[in-house]
Amino acid sequence: MDGWPTHPSQEGAYKMNESEIQNLVNKLENKGFTEYAVTSINSRIEQVRFSQNSIDLTNLWDEANFHVFVAIGKKIASTVLKDVAEMDITIDKLWKSANSSPENRSFAGINPEKQKYPYNVNHRAVQHDLHEFSQAAIQSALDNGAERVAGTAYNIFEKVRTSTKYNKCEYTTGGIELNIRSFRGGFSGQEGIHWGLQSNVSKSDFERMGSESAETARVTERKESIEPGKYTVIMSPYVIGNIISSCAESLSYYSVETGMSSFGDQIGRKVAGDGVNLVDDPLDSTGDGFRACDDEATATKKNRIITDGQLNTFFHSYSTAVRSGSRTTGNAGIILPMPWQLKILPGRTKLSDMISGMKNGLLIENCWYTRFQDYRNGIFSTVPRDGVFLVQNGAIKGDLSGIRISDSFRNILSNIEEISSETKNAKWWQEVSSTNMPYVKVKNVNISRAF
Amino acid sequence: MKITSNSLSYRNGSFEGIDFTSEKGYAVRVLNNSIAIAYIDSEDWDKAKESIDLALKKSESNGKNNISLGNAIKDNWIVQQKKKIEDFSLEDKISILKDNDKEMESHGTAVRINGMADKLIEQRYRNSIGSDISGNIYRVSYIYVMGFVNGGNFEQSIQQFGASSGFEYIDSLNLAKRIEEDAKGLKESADSRQPKEGDYDIIVGPEISGITAHESCGHPTEYDRIIGREGAQAGESFLTGKKFPYRVGSDEVSIIDDPTYPLSYGYYRYDDEGTPARKRYLYKNGMTNEFILNRESAYFLNTDSNGGGRSSSWDMEPLARMSTTYIEPGDYSFEELIEGIKHGIYIKSFTEWNIDDIRFNEKYVGKDAFYIENGKITSRVKRPTIETNTIKFYSSVDAVGKDLEFTAGTCGKGDPEQGVEVWMGGPHIRLRKVHIK
Repeated sequence: MDGWPTHPSQEGAYKMNESEIQNLVNKLENKGFTEYAVTSINSRIEQVRFSQNSIDLTNLWDEANFHVFVAIGKKIASTVLKDVAEMDITIDKLWKSANSSPENRSFAGINPEKQKYPYNVNHRAVQHDLHEFSQAAIQSALDNGAERVAGTAYNIFEKVRTSTKYNKCEYTTGGIELNIRSFRGGFSGQEGIHWGLQSNVSKSDFERMGSESAETARVTERKESIEPGKYTVIMSPYVIGNIISSCAESLSYYSVETGMSSFGDQIGRKVAGDGVNLVDDPLDSTGDGFRACDDEATATKKNRIITDGQLNTFFHSYSTAVRSGSRTTGNAGIILPMPWQLKILPGRTKLSDMISGMKNGLLIENCWYTRFQDYRNGIFSTVPRDGVFLVQNGAIKGDLSGIRISDSFRNILSNIEEISSETKNAKWWQEVSSTNMPYVKVKNVNISRAF
Repeated sequence: MKITSNSLSYRNGSFEGIDFTSEKGYAVRVLNNSIAIAYIDSEDWDKAKESIDLALKKSESNGKNNISLGNAIKDNWIVQQKKKIEDFSLEDKISILKDNDKEMESHGTAVRINGMADKLIEQRYRNSIGSDISGNIYRVSYIYVMGFVNGGNFEQSIQQFGASSGFEYIDSLNLAKRIEEDAKGLKESADSRQPKEGDYDIIVGPEISGITAHESCGHPTEYDRIIGREGAQAGESFLTGKKFPYRVGSDEVSIIDDPTYPLSYGYYRYDDEGTPARKRYLYKNGMTNEFILNRESAYFLNTDSNGGGRSSSWDMEPLARMSTTYIEPGDYSFEELIEGIKHGIYIKSFTEWNIDDIRFNEKYVGKDAFYIENGKITSRVKRPTIETNTIKFYSSVDAVGKDLEFTAGTCGKGDPEQGVEVWMGGPHIRLRKVHIK
């Protein structure tokens, strides 16, 4: 990222610096808001897009904004302020909007407890030549049998500051992302990995992702077909990552209250297979889902959502915690709590043993377009892609097309019977958010197909 | 470009809050050995120049470096509004949300979410060949989510409405009546049974003809997809590598994308690359006819853009996008369509849907659906599911209605994902021997 500031000490280079935040906070207090939460984000992002084996475009974003949440008692309003010259007008509009609004009866205030943040949260930006890395990934895919390659690479660096009446938090986040897809004949393979600011990502990592995507595309050239029905399925980190990313909102207390979750009365109960441990780990800075505090400056922490198959907690903000009689988990969204960096902790089975131990089932490497016919019961379907394999007697027999996983989140969780020791920092597009996921073997998965 | 927006919502009897945003910025595209775009939200020229210089430096790397330049155009345009967005008070908006929440509650629905939004986009496009175009677009939208619980059963409805208009559009919706009918349907669906799996003659309503026009005609005819530009995320197209024109369905099927369709949520006069918008026949009489082109993809066809270059914001690259995509109406009344069916299913609307990344293998799960016996609608049927492919679907069409209705949606594409406003629509259409689960 030549020419851009790379270290948090380069304060003057940020468009929204400490003094402007303090100025905004002072104005909000003087105006008479009873509570506020202000988050400034200075972001520098470089993206390289490529297709048909060559680079299409470089996108460069250099942006800054304030996310402002205010309350007058239980009357609330929010905005994104992009231009500090409009600060006074914006504050007047916030005041008028909040005053003119009915109360949000669910709002219980901003977390007033004094927070302690981890000290090592201001990491440096990663310095790499994305063009060179992307070209290396493309070449590696071609060298390993891909006919054409497409993808995107990101270098993200964000300086984040959150201030409330009670707490101030600042940190940097971001990292490198690569999404690469190889095509060979009618087959494809895709990898999507994120590396946080504390990862040592190198050109060889890009080359490895390129070659792995190509290898998936050339696993088999044989086409197979199956009848719809129940199958044991080995789901890759991208498949289980997609399902978890798509369904995670049902583990937010907001969804429980709204009536859009089937987990409402399940705290302390078994909701997943015995070995399933689902954690939200925003403090792992080897991933780009790292964040030191949530939107109301509550210090984030590692939360065990599901332990050995048992549901421990929902995602909470201060308000949802007050309403449910629990404690905030540091997952605000002040109104809608959400996860930051979900992980299914690794198991003991090797992927190769999962496959060799499978008599008749499927190995699905990726999926997309997950949609719900029943949000409350988590009934969805998702479309497999990029390596959809029939496995018989421990070996891949051929590739399948035209099928769907048509099942429910609760069934998938409950039927996980093996978890791999290998994991990936899986993330791609809006399909998989920042996660770390293993391969999982799930029994009795309903597979439908087109007629 | 400057974007000013407001949104507010109500959930289960309680006001959620109001959110507003005002943002502006510049996108500067440079062509060199490759293409680079700098997105700048600063009015400080030194900072802007720093970003543009960096884009110039990045564009020295090798890559694709051509776009269709088109002609120089100078113009300005505006979406007219009768009931001005800026005159519609917060109290009026809250009152609408509250009334609709109460309407839902009166029908016993357990999940009730109502949201309303408006947006003003002020844009100016200039390029190095002399174009200078200014445009103002007003857009309003309404979304509701309603869920009915019956024992362990849950029936949901998610409805989105939107138009390029002032608030007179919201008044025209008659939301209370829509909610009443929708709630009644959810209750009946919760008590109904799923169909016996088999082949049926079916009629699908405008909501389904619209989503198929969007998903299995509009997306696969975006030319950037066909040439692999979106290969890693949104995917390619089943039309990639085909010889054109290519047969995709029966002679009855013609599908249009028209950004100039009045009132449409996706309406525009010039796209975000300064190209005049126009009506395009994507499929005509069952054959591919024209593709959706932005400047970059048009270059690959050695032609000019046909006005499909859209970006969701000033800080997003323009891609080949849809606007108002619909199946062209035919000659049949609804009565004529239905009288030709002895034993079939009328699927009026849908809930879950999805499609593969080449836009071929698709699924639509019915929401409001009914059996047809001897040309008459009889009892309600629960969630009939079509899981088929694009060519089978359009080849099964044997009659097209003369009605035309649209629904609003937010179409996703690109990385970072860009949601752009669209209308999807069509008439009732009749299909023969469709496998229903």
